[in-house]
Amino acid sequence: MDFQAIVDRLRAASVPGIVEADEPRPADKESKDKGRSGRPFLVVEPGALVDLLRVCRDDPRLAFELLIDITASDPGVEDPNFWILVELLSITHRQRLAIKALITKENPTIASATAVYRAAQWHERECMEMFGITFEGHPDPRNILLPDDWVGHPLRKDYEFPVEYHGISCE
Amino acid sequence: MTTHAPDHQPTIRPASDEARILPSGEREFFFDVATTDLEINMGPQHPATHGVMRVLLRADGELVTGAQPHLGYLHRCAEKIGENVEWLQYLPYTDRYDYLSAMNNNLGYSLAVELLMPALEIPRRATVIRTICAELNRVASHLIAFGTYGLDIGAFTPFFYAFREREWIQALFEKICGARLTYSYIRIGGVFNDAPPGWLREVESFCDVFEEKWREYYDLLVENHIFVQRTANVGVIPREMAVDFGLTGPMLRGSGIDFDLRRDLPYMAYGEIASAGAFEIPLGRGEKGTLGDCWDRLYVRMVEMLEAIKIVRWCLGVIEPGPIIGEVPKVIKVPPGEGYVGIENPRGELGHYVHSDGGKVAIRCRVRGPSFTNLAVLEDLMPGTLLADSVAIIGSVDIVVGETDR
Repeated sequence: MDFQAIVDRLRAASVPGIVEADEPRPADKESKDKGRSGRPFLVVEPGALVDLLRVCRDDPRLAFELLIDITASDPGVEDPNFWILVELLSITHRQRLAIKALITKENPTIASATAVYRAAQWHERECMEMFGITFEGHPDPRNILLPDDWVGHPLRKDYEFPVEYHGISCE
Repeated sequence: MTTHAPDHQPTIRPASDEARILPSGEREFFFDVATTDLEINMGPQHPATHGVMRVLLRADGELVTGAQPHLGYLHRCAEKIGENVEWLQYLPYTDRYDYLSAMNNNLGYSLAVELLMPALEIPRRATVIRTICAELNRVASHLIAFGTYGLDIGAFTPFFYAFREREWIQALFEKICGARLTYSYIRIGGVFNDAPPGWLREVESFCDVFEEKWREYYDLLVENHIFVQRTANVGVIPREMAVDFGLTGPMLRGSGIDFDLRRDLPYMAYGEIASAGAFEIPLGRGEKGTLGDCWDRLYVRMVEMLEAIKIVRWCLGVIEPGPIIGEVPKVIKVPPGEGYVGIENPRGELGHYVHSDGGKVAIRCRVRGPSFTNLAVLEDLMPGTLLADSVAIIGSVDIVVGETDR
């Protein structure tokens, strides 16, 4: 199935929380739209993400067995949101689906997907330390790559590089 | 560091005050020995962790009751660097996450950036050279996996044979790009240097020699009775577990799941090669023990080497003269866009999510390393196994710590 067919299938299954299908578009000079290249994304409500993932996994026509990646992105200092990006892969139907959910920077909280895919566990831990996003219901919310006492969330755009760490100068 | 606080101190005391009188007239006491789990730090400097990784093992005698990988000793902030340097400047950093398959890493990143540049055309010759290099690097990487796995188990000899053949591949790469380990050869738009005269012929003679040698290696290690005893029925990953943990690459195929991105979601010329039937996907079949055991995973890697050689031969048959790089400006400005590209690395799916706002620097450059995801399975795989098997299991996951930590 192509991206549109997957979205239609999800809509037909009346999954709540689908906001829009964000597809690549060519540049338009009149409206000064620079366009967008790349891959299509399914934008969903953050509260409905876990339910949507469950449908994606269990629906036989979709059958996204593998959770490839969960990550986040900070689009800019001015942007009020973080993006949660989920990449799914179906072994049965040989297709991919990219999902995007927007969560606010004031309250960066989203439900954990570990109940649906065990693979989410380490990816979410990485997201937590790098962006300071809370995954509610995560079974093991420790730092994974950074030391336990690291201050700040390095992949946030407003992150300030530390001057020293345990007496080691970083300048 | 967290340490396991023992619930109670080990004590040795008679179970009862009454002693049994044996027929010989001796008095026999029964002792009740209270035991606690022993915590063992495997690593960070352990030869079998293939880098600087620590696994916190909990053992009850010889039985492993828990395993917790601790990562981050080799964290070099690759993703943060990706947001601070120009698109092309980031390429050498890709060499350094999975340093045993740097060509494939270059390829994954280049394909991701090229996804955002639809106007950029990749010349045919570049695609074919890319495929040759990626597959030769796959052979080199699996040779290390095979050699060091023997080393972990206690077979020293295969390691040297594996390095002999790998040395030839490195010499070939040195001839084409000047580097032996961190190539930065596959660039955005193509490759940066054409194959020198006679290079393709030498690749062909490597293929001829390797196919002969491969059989010897297979008999030497994979079919070796002692090796089979150490790896068959050990570290069994059932299909459901493999899928739930999102395993990819030989880890997934070792559990009998027939999926390979090169054939099933083809990129570059792989669709063409697969439809020509030039290569097959080896699968674990539980030949020596249970489906999804350590032996199956090594078997898949071994056969993949031969299949990679077949792909190289196909490429040698179709390569034609022509340009090797598309029209790429000196300072690359990537049009606005975002997308994820995953390719089949020797260890599984290497993914890059790149996001550009039209500038010279990425907004986000996410790296999804296969070793990182594959390693997560250890937490569930290790409990219940024997301590001596833990080395065999960690070795069969075939991680490169440079990639788990990035």
